[in-house]
Amino acid sequence: MWRDAALVAGKDLRIEARSRVALSQVAPFGIVALALFAFALGPDRDVLARGAPGLFWVAVLFCTVLAVQRSVSVESADGARDGLRLSGIDPAGLFLGKAAAVGVQLLVLEAILVAGVVLLYGARIQIPWMVGVSCALGTIGLAVTGTLYGALSSGLRMRETLLPFLLLPIVAPVLLAGTRIWQAAMVGGSPGDGTQWLRLLVAFDAVYLAVGVILFGPIQETA
Amino acid sequence: MRYIVAGYVVILGLLFLYAVQIVWRRRRLTRAVARVVAAGTAHDGAGDAVGTAAGRHA
Amino acid sequence: MSDLESALGRTHGSPVPTAAGTGPTPPPVRSARSRATERVIGVLALVGTAFTVWLGLWVTPPDRTQGDLVRLVYLHPGVAWVALYLAFGLAAVSSLLYLWPRTRSLFWDRLAAASVEVGVVFNVCTLVSGSIWGKPTWGVWWAWDARLTLTAVLLVLFLGYLALRRIPAEPEVRARRSAFVALFAVLDVPLVHFSVNWWNTLHQGATVLNPGLTLKIHGSMAWTLLLGFVSLTLAFVWMLLVRYRIGVLEDWLDANELDAALAERRSEGTGPGPAVPSEPVGVA
Repeated sequence: MWRDAALVAGKDLRIEARSRVALSQVAPFGIVALALFAFALGPDRDVLARGAPGLFWVAVLFCTVLAVQRSVSVESADGARDGLRLSGIDPAGLFLGKAAAVGVQLLVLEAILVAGVVLLYGARIQIPWMVGVSCALGTIGLAVTGTLYGALSSGLRMRETLLPFLLLPIVAPVLLAGTRIWQAAMVGGSPGDGTQWLRLLVAFDAVYLAVGVILFGPIQETA
Repeated sequence: MRYIVAGYVVILGLLFLYAVQIVWRRRRLTRAVARVVAAGTAHDGAGDAVGTAAGRHA
Repeated sequence: MSDLESALGRTHGSPVPTAAGTGPTPPPVRSARSRATERVIGVLALVGTAFTVWLGLWVTPPDRTQGDLVRLVYLHPGVAWVALYLAFGLAAVSSLLYLWPRTRSLFWDRLAAASVEVGVVFNVCTLVSGSIWGKPTWGVWWAWDARLTLTAVLLVLFLGYLALRRIPAEPEVRARRSAFVALFAVLDVPLVHFSVNWWNTLHQGATVLNPGLTLKIHGSMAWTLLLGFVSLTLAFVWMLLVRYRIGVLEDWLDANELDAALAERRSEGTGPGPAVPSEPVGVA
Protein backbone atom coordinates (compact mmCIF):
# COMPACT_ATOMS: atom_id res chain seq x y z
CA MET A 1 0.00 0.00 0.00
CA TRP A 2 2.72 2.45 0.91
CA ARG A 3 4.69 1.73 -2.22
CA ASP A 4 1.61 2.29 -4.35
CA ALA A 5 0.93 5.49 -2.47
CA ALA A 6 4.43 6.73 -3.14
CA LEU A 7 4.08 5.80 -6.80
CA VAL A 8 0.83 7.68 -7.22
CA ALA A 9 2.00 10.68 -5.22
CA GLY A 10 5.17 10.80 -7.24
CA LYS A 11 3.19 10.67 -10.47
CA ASP A 12 0.84 13.47 -9.47
CA LEU A 13 3.65 15.64 -8.19
CA ARG A 14 5.70 15.05 -11.28
CA ILE A 15 2.73 16.08 -13.43
CA GLU A 16 2.46 19.18 -11.31
CA ALA A 17 6.16 19.89 -11.57
CA ARG A 18 5.96 19.71 -15.34
CA SER A 19 2.74 21.64 -15.82
CA ARG A 20 3.13 23.93 -12.84
CA VAL A 21 -0.60 24.59 -12.60
CA ALA A 22 -0.68 24.90 -8.85
CA LEU A 23 2.22 27.27 -8.79
CA SER A 24 1.29 29.41 -11.74
CA GLN A 25 -2.46 29.51 -11.36
CA VAL A 26 -3.65 28.48 -7.95
CA ALA A 27 -1.04 30.36 -5.95
CA PRO A 28 -1.65 33.66 -7.72
CA PHE A 29 -5.35 33.05 -7.25
CA GLY A 30 -4.73 32.71 -3.54
CA ILE A 31 -2.84 35.98 -3.45
CA VAL A 32 -5.57 37.64 -5.46
CA ALA A 33 -8.08 36.34 -2.95
CA LEU A 34 -6.09 37.92 -0.15
CA ALA A 35 -6.07 41.18 -2.08
CA LEU A 36 -9.82 40.96 -2.63
CA PHE A 37 -10.36 40.49 1.07
CA ALA A 38 -8.29 43.57 1.67
CA PHE A 39 -10.39 45.53 -0.79
CA ALA A 40 -13.55 44.25 0.83
CA LEU A 41 -12.55 44.93 4.41
CA GLY A 42 -10.91 48.28 3.96
CA PRO A 43 -7.36 49.51 4.21
CA ASP A 44 -7.33 49.55 8.01
CA ARG A 45 -4.56 47.13 8.81
CA ASP A 46 -5.89 46.50 12.28
CA VAL A 47 -9.06 44.98 10.90
CA LEU A 48 -7.09 42.90 8.47
CA ALA A 49 -4.60 41.77 11.06
CA ARG A 50 -7.39 40.66 13.35
CA GLY A 51 -9.14 38.92 10.50
CA ALA A 52 -5.96 37.36 9.20
CA PRO A 53 -6.52 33.85 10.58
CA GLY A 54 -9.95 33.54 9.03
CA LEU A 55 -8.98 35.16 5.77
CA PHE A 56 -5.96 32.92 5.48
CA TRP A 57 -8.00 29.77 5.96
CA VAL A 58 -10.73 30.87 3.58
CA ALA A 59 -8.10 31.51 0.94
CA VAL A 60 -6.70 28.05 1.68
CA LEU A 61 -10.15 26.54 1.21
CA PHE A 62 -10.51 28.18 -2.18
CA CYS A 63 -7.13 26.83 -3.18
CA THR A 64 -8.08 23.38 -1.89
CA VAL A 65 -11.08 23.25 -4.16
CA LEU A 66 -8.94 24.17 -7.14
CA ALA A 67 -6.20 21.73 -6.21
CA VAL A 68 -8.67 18.88 -5.82
CA GLN A 69 -10.38 19.68 -9.09
CA ARG A 70 -6.99 19.53 -10.73
CA SER A 71 -6.13 16.27 -9.02
CA VAL A 72 -9.33 14.71 -10.31
CA SER A 73 -9.10 16.11 -13.81
CA VAL A 74 -5.60 14.74 -14.24
CA GLU A 75 -7.17 11.32 -14.54
CA SER A 76 -10.18 12.18 -16.62
CA ALA A 77 -8.41 12.12 -19.96
CA ASP A 78 -7.77 9.03 -22.05
CA GLY A 79 -9.49 6.65 -19.68
CA ALA A 80 -6.66 7.05 -17.22
CA ARG A 81 -8.98 6.28 -14.33
CA ASP A 82 -9.88 2.90 -15.70
CA GLY A 83 -6.23 2.30 -16.42
CA LEU A 84 -5.42 2.97 -12.80
CA ARG A 85 -8.04 0.55 -11.60
CA LEU A 86 -6.89 -2.14 -14.03
CA SER A 87 -3.27 -1.71 -13.08
CA GLY A 88 -3.97 -3.39 -9.79
CA ILE A 89 -2.86 -0.50 -7.67
CA ASP A 90 -4.11 -0.90 -4.13
CA PRO A 91 -7.03 1.54 -3.81
CA ALA A 92 -5.90 2.56 -0.35
CA GLY A 93 -2.51 3.35 -1.80
CA LEU A 94 -4.11 5.31 -4.60
CA PHE A 95 -6.09 7.28 -2.07
CA LEU A 96 -3.08 8.04 0.11
CA GLY A 97 -0.97 8.91 -2.88
CA LYS A 98 -3.44 11.35 -4.37
CA ALA A 99 -4.16 12.89 -1.00
CA ALA A 100 -0.46 13.24 -0.32
CA ALA A 101 0.10 14.98 -3.64
CA VAL A 102 -2.75 17.39 -2.98
CA GLY A 103 -1.42 17.91 0.52
CA VAL A 104 2.07 18.76 -0.64
CA GLN A 105 0.71 21.25 -3.11
CA LEU A 106 -1.48 22.78 -0.43
CA LEU A 107 1.47 23.11 1.95
CA VAL A 108 3.42 25.02 -0.64
CA LEU A 109 0.41 27.23 -1.29
CA GLU A 110 -0.05 27.79 2.40
CA ALA A 111 3.55 28.84 2.82
CA ILE A 112 2.96 31.47 0.17
CA LEU A 113 -0.28 32.55 1.78
CA VAL A 114 1.30 32.80 5.22
CA ALA A 115 3.89 35.11 3.76
CA GLY A 116 1.11 37.03 2.07
CA VAL A 117 -0.88 37.39 5.24
CA VAL A 118 2.11 38.51 7.25
CA LEU A 119 3.19 41.02 4.65
CA LEU A 120 -0.13 42.28 3.37
CA TYR A 121 -2.14 42.27 6.57
CA GLY A 122 0.58 42.91 9.06
CA ALA A 123 -0.34 39.79 10.99
CA ARG A 124 2.09 39.16 13.82
CA ILE A 125 2.62 35.56 14.76
CA GLN A 126 3.84 35.05 18.30
CA ILE A 127 3.89 31.25 18.33
CA PRO A 128 5.06 30.07 14.92
CA TRP A 129 5.00 26.38 15.72
CA MET A 130 1.27 26.52 16.29
CA VAL A 131 0.79 28.02 12.88
CA GLY A 132 2.96 25.32 11.38
CA VAL A 133 1.22 22.48 13.15
CA SER A 134 -2.24 23.82 12.39
CA CYS A 135 -1.32 24.14 8.75
CA ALA A 136 0.06 20.63 8.67
CA LEU A 137 -2.92 19.03 10.38
CA GLY A 138 -5.42 21.17 8.56
CA THR A 139 -3.83 20.33 5.25
CA ILE A 140 -4.09 16.62 5.95
CA GLY A 141 -7.79 17.03 6.67
CA LEU A 142 -8.40 19.12 3.57
CA ALA A 143 -6.39 16.90 1.26
CA VAL A 144 -7.99 13.72 2.54
CA THR A 145 -11.60 14.91 2.37
CA GLY A 146 -10.92 16.64 -0.92
CA THR A 147 -9.62 13.42 -2.45
CA LEU A 148 -12.63 11.50 -1.16
CA TYR A 149 -15.12 13.93 -2.61
CA GLY A 150 -13.09 14.26 -5.74
CA ALA A 151 -13.37 10.52 -6.25
CA LEU A 152 -17.09 10.60 -5.62
CA SER A 153 -17.68 13.37 -8.07
CA SER A 154 -15.19 12.30 -10.72
CA GLY A 155 -16.75 11.81 -14.08
CA LEU A 156 -19.87 13.73 -13.19
CA ARG A 157 -20.90 16.46 -15.51
CA MET A 158 -21.64 18.95 -12.78
CA ARG A 159 -18.47 18.34 -10.86
CA GLU A 160 -17.15 21.91 -10.91
CA THR A 161 -20.07 23.37 -9.05
CA LEU A 162 -20.96 20.33 -7.02
CA LEU A 163 -17.56 19.63 -5.50
CA PRO A 164 -17.21 22.88 -3.54
CA PHE A 165 -20.81 22.65 -2.43
CA LEU A 166 -20.27 19.16 -1.10
CA LEU A 167 -16.79 19.62 0.27
CA LEU A 168 -16.82 22.96 2.05
CA PRO A 169 -19.46 22.21 4.69
CA ILE A 170 -17.62 19.04 5.54
CA VAL A 171 -14.38 20.85 6.24
CA ALA A 172 -16.02 23.48 8.43
CA PRO A 173 -14.35 22.02 11.54
CA VAL A 174 -10.96 22.46 9.88
CA LEU A 175 -11.76 26.09 9.20
CA LEU A 176 -12.98 26.66 12.74
CA ALA A 177 -10.04 24.87 14.32
CA GLY A 178 -7.44 26.40 12.06
CA THR A 179 -8.71 29.88 12.69
CA ARG A 180 -8.82 29.44 16.44
CA ILE A 181 -5.34 27.99 16.58
CA TRP A 182 -4.03 30.87 14.51
CA GLN A 183 -5.72 33.32 16.81
CA ALA A 184 -4.08 31.67 19.79
CA ALA A 185 -0.79 31.76 17.90
CA MET A 186 -1.16 35.44 17.19
CA VAL A 187 -2.22 36.43 20.66
CA GLY A 188 0.71 34.61 22.18
CA GLY A 189 0.95 33.65 25.81
CA SER A 190 0.02 30.10 26.71
CA PRO A 191 -1.21 27.87 23.90
CA GLY A 192 -3.96 26.53 26.19
CA ASP A 193 -6.94 27.27 24.04
CA GLY A 194 -5.29 26.03 20.92
CA THR A 195 -4.57 22.51 22.14
CA GLN A 196 -8.17 21.36 22.23
CA TRP A 197 -8.56 22.55 18.68
CA LEU A 198 -5.43 20.66 17.71
CA ARG A 199 -6.97 17.55 19.17
CA LEU A 200 -10.10 18.17 17.12
CA LEU A 201 -7.99 18.45 13.99
CA VAL A 202 -6.24 15.20 14.80
CA ALA A 203 -9.60 13.52 15.30
CA PHE A 204 -10.90 14.93 12.03
CA ASP A 205 -7.83 13.75 10.16
CA ALA A 206 -7.91 10.31 11.74
CA VAL A 207 -11.57 9.76 10.91
CA TYR A 208 -11.33 10.69 7.27
CA LEU A 209 -7.99 9.00 6.73
CA ALA A 210 -9.48 5.78 8.06
CA VAL A 211 -12.57 6.19 5.92
CA GLY A 212 -10.49 6.80 2.84
CA VAL A 213 -8.14 3.90 3.35
CA ILE A 214 -10.97 1.48 4.01
CA LEU A 215 -13.54 2.68 1.52
CA PHE A 216 -11.64 4.17 -1.39
CA GLY A 217 -11.97 0.98 -3.41
CA PRO A 218 -15.76 0.84 -3.29
CA ILE A 219 -15.94 4.60 -3.71
CA GLN A 220 -14.01 4.41 -6.94
CA GLU A 221 -16.56 2.01 -8.34
CA THR A 222 -19.26 4.61 -8.10
CA ALA A 223 -17.60 6.79 -10.70
CA MET B 1 -47.05 37.89 20.20
CA ARG B 2 -46.94 38.76 16.54
CA TYR B 3 -43.69 36.86 16.33
CA ILE B 4 -45.28 33.79 17.81
CA VAL B 5 -48.12 33.79 15.35
CA ALA B 6 -45.67 34.41 12.54
CA GLY B 7 -43.62 31.46 13.74
CA TYR B 8 -46.61 29.17 13.88
CA VAL B 9 -47.80 30.29 10.47
CA VAL B 10 -44.40 29.78 8.91
CA ILE B 11 -43.83 26.31 10.32
CA LEU B 12 -47.29 25.01 9.63
CA GLY B 13 -47.42 26.78 6.29
CA LEU B 14 -44.16 25.26 5.08
CA LEU B 15 -45.17 21.81 6.23
CA PHE B 16 -48.58 22.15 4.67
CA LEU B 17 -47.21 23.38 1.35
CA TYR B 18 -44.73 20.54 1.22
CA ALA B 19 -47.44 18.03 2.05
CA VAL B 20 -49.59 19.36 -0.76
CA GLN B 21 -46.65 19.24 -3.13
CA ILE B 22 -45.78 15.61 -2.44
CA VAL B 23 -49.37 14.47 -2.66
CA TRP B 24 -49.66 16.21 -6.00
CA ARG B 25 -46.40 14.70 -7.22
CA ARG B 26 -47.50 11.24 -6.20
CA ARG B 27 -50.81 11.69 -7.99
CA ARG B 28 -49.10 12.85 -11.14
CA LEU B 29 -46.66 9.91 -11.09
CA THR B 30 -49.40 7.37 -10.42
CA ARG B 31 -51.26 8.63 -13.44
CA ALA B 32 -48.09 8.44 -15.52
CA VAL B 33 -47.53 4.85 -14.42
CA ALA B 34 -51.10 4.00 -15.33
CA ARG B 35 -50.58 5.50 -18.76
CA VAL B 36 -47.41 3.51 -19.31
CA VAL B 37 -49.07 0.29 -18.21
CA ALA B 38 -52.02 0.93 -20.52
CA ALA B 39 -49.70 1.65 -23.42
CA GLY B 40 -47.75 -1.50 -22.70
CA THR B 41 -50.73 -3.82 -22.60
CA ALA B 42 -52.36 -2.22 -25.62
CA HIS B 43 -49.30 -2.69 -27.77
CA ASP B 44 -48.22 -6.09 -26.66
CA GLY B 45 -48.80 -7.32 -30.20
CA ALA B 46 -45.85 -5.27 -31.37
CA GLY B 47 -43.56 -7.32 -29.20
CA ASP B 48 -41.54 -8.79 -32.09
CA ALA B 49 -40.69 -5.42 -33.51
CA VAL B 50 -39.40 -4.33 -30.12
CA GLY B 51 -36.70 -6.93 -30.25
CA THR B 52 -35.50 -5.91 -33.69
CA ALA B 53 -35.55 -2.20 -33.02
CA ALA B 54 -33.83 -2.60 -29.67
CA GLY B 55 -31.20 -4.71 -31.32
CA ARG B 56 -30.62 -2.04 -33.96
CA HIS B 57 -30.13 0.68 -31.44
CA ALA B 58 -28.07 -1.23 -28.91
CA MET C 1 -22.83 8.82 -25.72
CA SER C 2 -26.10 9.83 -27.32
CA ASP C 3 -29.08 10.52 -25.14
CA LEU C 4 -30.86 7.52 -26.54
CA GLU C 5 -27.98 5.20 -25.79
CA SER C 6 -27.61 6.39 -22.24
CA ALA C 7 -31.34 6.10 -21.74
CA LEU C 8 -31.25 2.55 -23.02
CA GLY C 9 -28.31 1.87 -20.76
CA ARG C 10 -30.35 3.07 -17.84
CA THR C 11 -33.24 0.89 -18.79
CA HIS C 12 -31.11 -2.18 -19.01
CA GLY C 13 -29.65 -1.41 -15.64
CA SER C 14 -33.02 -1.19 -13.93
CA PRO C 15 -33.39 -3.14 -10.73
CA VAL C 16 -36.36 -5.03 -12.11
CA PRO C 17 -35.03 -7.19 -14.91
CA THR C 18 -36.77 -6.58 -18.18
CA ALA C 19 -36.70 -9.54 -20.49
CA ALA C 20 -34.82 -8.06 -23.46
CA GLY C 21 -37.19 -5.10 -23.66
CA THR C 22 -40.40 -6.95 -24.25
CA GLY C 23 -42.43 -4.24 -22.52
CA PRO C 24 -42.96 -2.64 -19.15
CA THR C 25 -42.55 -4.69 -16.00
CA PRO C 26 -45.45 -4.93 -13.60
CA PRO C 27 -46.02 -1.63 -11.87
CA PRO C 28 -45.43 -1.37 -8.14
CA VAL C 29 -48.73 -1.84 -6.36
CA ARG C 30 -49.76 -0.72 -2.95
CA SER C 31 -51.63 -2.88 -0.57
CA ALA C 32 -54.86 -1.54 0.83
CA ARG C 33 -53.33 -1.92 4.26
CA SER C 34 -50.43 0.40 3.51
CA ARG C 35 -52.79 2.98 2.13
CA ALA C 36 -54.95 2.73 5.21
CA THR C 37 -51.96 3.02 7.53
CA GLU C 38 -50.82 6.12 5.73
CA ARG C 39 -54.22 7.67 5.97
CA VAL C 40 -54.47 6.96 9.67
CA ILE C 41 -51.05 8.40 10.37
CA GLY C 42 -51.84 11.46 8.31
CA VAL C 43 -55.09 12.09 10.11
CA LEU C 44 -53.48 11.60 13.50
CA ALA C 45 -50.70 13.99 12.58
CA LEU C 46 -53.16 16.59 11.39
CA VAL C 47 -55.39 16.30 14.42
CA GLY C 48 -52.47 16.25 16.80
CA THR C 49 -50.90 19.32 15.22
CA ALA C 50 -54.18 21.21 15.24
CA PHE C 51 -54.65 20.34 18.88
CA THR C 52 -51.10 21.42 19.67
CA VAL C 53 -51.68 24.75 18.00
CA TRP C 54 -54.89 25.31 19.92
CA LEU C 55 -53.30 24.36 23.21
CA GLY C 56 -50.12 26.23 22.45
CA LEU C 57 -51.66 29.48 21.39
CA TRP C 58 -54.61 29.70 23.73
CA VAL C 59 -54.88 27.19 26.50
CA THR C 60 -51.40 27.13 27.98
CA PRO C 61 -50.26 29.97 30.21
CA PRO C 62 -47.49 32.38 29.27
CA ASP C 63 -44.08 31.80 30.78
CA ARG C 64 -42.90 33.78 33.78
CA THR C 65 -39.78 35.07 32.09
CA GLN C 66 -40.41 34.80 28.38
CA GLY C 67 -44.08 35.67 28.45
CA ASP C 68 -45.98 34.70 25.36
CA LEU C 69 -42.77 34.07 23.49
CA VAL C 70 -42.49 30.68 25.12
CA ARG C 71 -45.36 29.43 22.95
CA LEU C 72 -42.96 28.63 20.15
CA VAL C 73 -41.51 25.91 22.34
CA TYR C 74 -44.41 23.71 21.34
CA LEU C 75 -43.32 23.67 17.71
CA HIS C 76 -39.72 24.77 17.35
CA PRO C 77 -37.91 22.06 19.35
CA GLY C 78 -40.28 19.55 17.76
CA VAL C 79 -39.31 20.40 14.21
CA ALA C 80 -35.69 20.62 15.30
CA TRP C 81 -35.82 17.13 16.78
CA VAL C 82 -37.39 15.78 13.60
CA ALA C 83 -34.93 17.49 11.30
CA LEU C 84 -31.71 16.97 13.21
CA TYR C 85 -32.21 13.64 14.86
CA LEU C 86 -35.06 11.75 13.26
CA ALA C 87 -34.62 12.62 9.59
CA PHE C 88 -30.87 12.81 9.61
CA GLY C 89 -30.51 9.76 11.83
CA LEU C 90 -32.81 7.72 9.64
CA ALA C 91 -31.02 8.86 6.50
CA ALA C 92 -27.69 7.92 8.04
CA VAL C 93 -28.81 4.49 9.18
CA SER C 94 -30.53 3.76 5.86
CA SER C 95 -27.46 4.78 3.91
CA LEU C 96 -25.28 2.55 6.02
CA LEU C 97 -27.68 -0.33 5.57
CA TYR C 98 -27.53 0.19 1.86
CA LEU C 99 -23.75 0.15 1.85
CA TRP C 100 -23.60 -2.96 3.99
CA PRO C 101 -23.54 -5.86 1.53
CA ARG C 102 -25.80 -8.15 3.47
CA THR C 103 -28.60 -5.65 3.72
CA ARG C 104 -28.10 -3.94 0.41
CA SER C 105 -31.42 -3.09 -1.16
CA LEU C 106 -32.69 -0.09 -3.04
CA PHE C 107 -35.36 0.16 -0.37
CA TRP C 108 -32.81 1.66 2.00
CA ASP C 109 -31.59 4.06 -0.63
CA ARG C 110 -35.06 5.31 -1.40
CA LEU C 111 -35.81 5.59 2.30
CA ALA C 112 -32.69 7.65 2.85
CA ALA C 113 -33.54 9.95 -0.05
CA ALA C 114 -37.08 10.45 1.19
CA SER C 115 -35.84 11.05 4.70
CA VAL C 116 -33.36 13.67 3.55
CA GLU C 117 -35.88 15.53 1.47
CA VAL C 118 -38.45 15.67 4.24
CA GLY C 119 -35.63 16.49 6.62
CA VAL C 120 -34.72 19.53 4.55
CA VAL C 121 -38.24 20.87 4.90
CA PHE C 122 -38.19 20.41 8.66
CA ASN C 123 -34.69 21.87 8.80
CA VAL C 124 -35.83 25.03 7.06
CA CYS C 125 -38.75 25.18 9.48
CA THR C 126 -36.28 24.89 12.34
CA LEU C 127 -34.05 27.67 11.10
CA VAL C 128 -36.87 30.03 10.24
CA SER C 129 -38.79 29.44 13.44
CA GLY C 130 -35.57 29.69 15.39
CA SER C 131 -34.81 32.98 13.73
CA ILE C 132 -38.31 34.27 14.40
CA TRP C 133 -38.01 33.23 18.02
CA GLY C 134 -34.59 34.73 18.28
CA LYS C 135 -35.53 38.20 17.15
CA PRO C 136 -37.68 39.17 20.13
CA THR C 137 -35.67 37.03 22.53
CA TRP C 138 -32.11 37.90 21.63
CA GLY C 139 -32.74 40.95 19.49
CA VAL C 140 -31.19 39.53 16.35
CA TRP C 141 -32.54 37.55 13.41
CA TRP C 142 -29.51 35.36 13.37
CA ALA C 143 -26.73 34.57 15.77
CA TRP C 144 -23.76 32.34 15.20
CA ASP C 145 -24.53 30.21 18.16
CA ALA C 146 -23.63 26.56 18.26
CA ARG C 147 -26.97 24.93 17.60
CA LEU C 148 -28.16 27.34 14.93
CA THR C 149 -24.88 27.02 13.10
CA LEU C 150 -24.93 23.25 13.30
CA THR C 151 -28.48 23.24 11.95
CA ALA C 152 -27.40 25.46 9.10
CA VAL C 153 -24.44 23.24 8.27
CA LEU C 154 -26.71 20.22 8.36
CA LEU C 155 -29.05 21.94 5.93
CA VAL C 156 -26.23 22.52 3.49
CA LEU C 157 -25.13 18.89 3.83
CA PHE C 158 -28.71 17.74 3.15
CA LEU C 159 -28.95 20.01 0.12
CA GLY C 160 -25.64 18.68 -1.20
CA TYR C 161 -26.98 15.15 -0.90
CA LEU C 162 -30.11 16.10 -2.84
CA ALA C 163 -28.08 17.89 -5.49
CA LEU C 164 -25.95 14.81 -5.95
CA ARG C 165 -29.01 12.63 -6.35
CA ARG C 166 -30.36 14.79 -9.10
CA ILE C 167 -27.51 13.77 -11.38
CA PRO C 168 -28.86 11.10 -13.70
CA ALA C 169 -27.37 7.68 -13.15
CA GLU C 170 -28.29 4.06 -12.73
CA PRO C 171 -30.22 3.52 -9.52
CA GLU C 172 -27.47 1.43 -7.96
CA VAL C 173 -24.71 3.86 -8.85
CA ARG C 174 -26.73 6.80 -7.61
CA ALA C 175 -27.57 4.91 -4.46
CA ARG C 176 -23.95 4.11 -3.70
CA ARG C 177 -22.75 7.60 -4.39
CA SER C 178 -25.45 9.11 -2.21
CA ALA C 179 -24.79 6.61 0.54
CA PHE C 180 -21.11 7.53 0.65
CA VAL C 181 -21.92 11.21 0.80
CA ALA C 182 -24.36 10.49 3.61
CA LEU C 183 -21.72 8.50 5.44
CA PHE C 184 -19.20 11.32 5.17
CA ALA C 185 -21.79 13.77 6.41
CA VAL C 186 -22.64 11.54 9.36
CA LEU C 187 -18.99 11.36 10.35
CA ASP C 188 -18.72 15.09 10.04
CA VAL C 189 -21.65 16.00 12.24
CA PRO C 190 -20.08 15.19 15.60
CA LEU C 191 -16.93 17.02 14.54
CA VAL C 192 -18.92 20.06 13.51
CA HIS C 193 -20.95 19.77 16.69
CA PHE C 194 -17.87 19.98 18.89
CA SER C 195 -16.20 22.69 16.84
CA VAL C 196 -19.20 24.90 16.78
CA ASN C 197 -19.90 24.36 20.45
CA TRP C 198 -16.42 25.36 21.48
CA TRP C 199 -16.62 28.21 19.04
CA ASN C 200 -19.66 29.97 20.35
CA THR C 201 -22.82 29.40 22.27
CA LEU C 202 -25.80 31.58 22.96
CA HIS C 203 -28.64 29.06 23.04
CA GLN C 204 -30.16 27.88 26.25
CA GLY C 205 -27.75 25.40 27.77
CA ALA C 206 -30.44 22.75 27.48
CA THR C 207 -30.42 20.34 24.57
CA VAL C 208 -33.70 19.27 23.06
CA LEU C 209 -33.64 16.08 25.08
CA ASN C 210 -32.39 17.65 28.26
CA PRO C 211 -34.56 16.70 31.22
CA GLY C 212 -33.69 20.04 32.76
CA LEU C 213 -35.83 21.72 30.15
CA THR C 214 -38.90 19.73 31.03
CA LEU C 215 -38.45 20.46 34.70
CA LYS C 216 -39.01 24.14 34.09
CA ILE C 217 -42.07 23.34 32.08
CA HIS C 218 -44.86 21.60 33.89
CA GLY C 219 -48.52 20.90 33.78
CA SER C 220 -50.37 21.72 30.62
CA MET C 221 -47.21 23.07 29.05
CA ALA C 222 -45.45 19.74 29.36
CA TRP C 223 -48.34 17.83 27.82
CA THR C 224 -48.61 20.29 24.97
CA LEU C 225 -44.91 20.01 24.38
CA LEU C 226 -45.17 16.24 24.25
CA LEU C 227 -48.16 16.42 21.94
CA GLY C 228 -46.23 18.75 19.68
CA PHE C 229 -43.34 16.33 19.47
CA VAL C 230 -45.57 13.38 18.75
CA SER C 231 -47.66 15.20 16.15
CA LEU C 232 -44.64 16.48 14.30
CA THR C 233 -43.08 13.05 14.37
CA LEU C 234 -46.25 11.58 12.90
CA ALA C 235 -46.26 14.30 10.28
CA PHE C 236 -42.72 13.33 9.38
CA VAL C 237 -43.65 9.67 9.10
CA TRP C 238 -46.61 10.46 6.88
CA MET C 239 -44.50 12.66 4.62
CA LEU C 240 -41.85 9.98 4.55
CA LEU C 241 -44.35 7.39 3.37
CA VAL C 242 -45.64 9.63 0.59
CA ARG C 243 -42.19 10.70 -0.49
CA TYR C 244 -40.96 7.12 -0.47
CA ARG C 245 -43.81 6.13 -2.72
CA ILE C 246 -42.83 8.94 -5.06
CA GLY C 247 -39.32 7.51 -5.22
CA VAL C 248 -40.61 4.08 -6.10
CA LEU C 249 -42.86 5.47 -8.84
CA GLU C 250 -40.13 7.66 -10.28
CA ASP C 251 -37.67 4.79 -10.44
CA TRP C 252 -40.23 2.54 -12.10
CA LEU C 253 -41.06 5.20 -14.66
CA ASP C 254 -37.39 5.79 -15.38
CA ALA C 255 -36.92 2.11 -16.03
CA ASN C 256 -40.05 1.48 -18.04
CA GLU C 257 -41.12 4.67 -19.70
CA LEU C 258 -38.75 4.23 -22.55
CA ASP C 259 -39.77 0.66 -23.23
CA ALA C 260 -43.39 1.64 -23.26
CA ALA C 261 -42.75 4.67 -25.43
CA LEU C 262 -40.81 2.54 -27.88
CA ALA C 263 -43.59 -0.01 -27.98
CA GLU C 264 -46.12 2.72 -28.52
CA ARG C 265 -44.10 4.33 -31.27
CA ARG C 266 -43.58 1.11 -33.10
CA SER C 267 -47.20 0.23 -33.13
CA GLU C 268 -48.06 3.74 -34.31
CA GLY C 269 -46.06 3.13 -37.43
CA THR C 270 -46.97 0.83 -40.30
CA GLY C 271 -47.01 -2.18 -38.00
CA PRO C 272 -44.09 -4.29 -36.82
CA GLY C 273 -41.09 -3.95 -39.07
CA PRO C 274 -37.59 -2.50 -39.29
CA ALA C 275 -38.71 0.63 -41.10
CA VAL C 276 -40.31 2.13 -38.03
CA PRO C 277 -38.11 4.84 -36.49
CA SER C 278 -38.07 5.17 -32.76
CA GLU C 279 -37.91 8.94 -32.91
CA PRO C 280 -39.97 11.26 -35.10
CA VAL C 281 -38.06 12.32 -38.17
CA GLY C 282 -37.85 16.08 -38.43
CA VAL C 283 -40.20 16.51 -41.29
CA ALA C 284 -41.96 19.85 -40.91
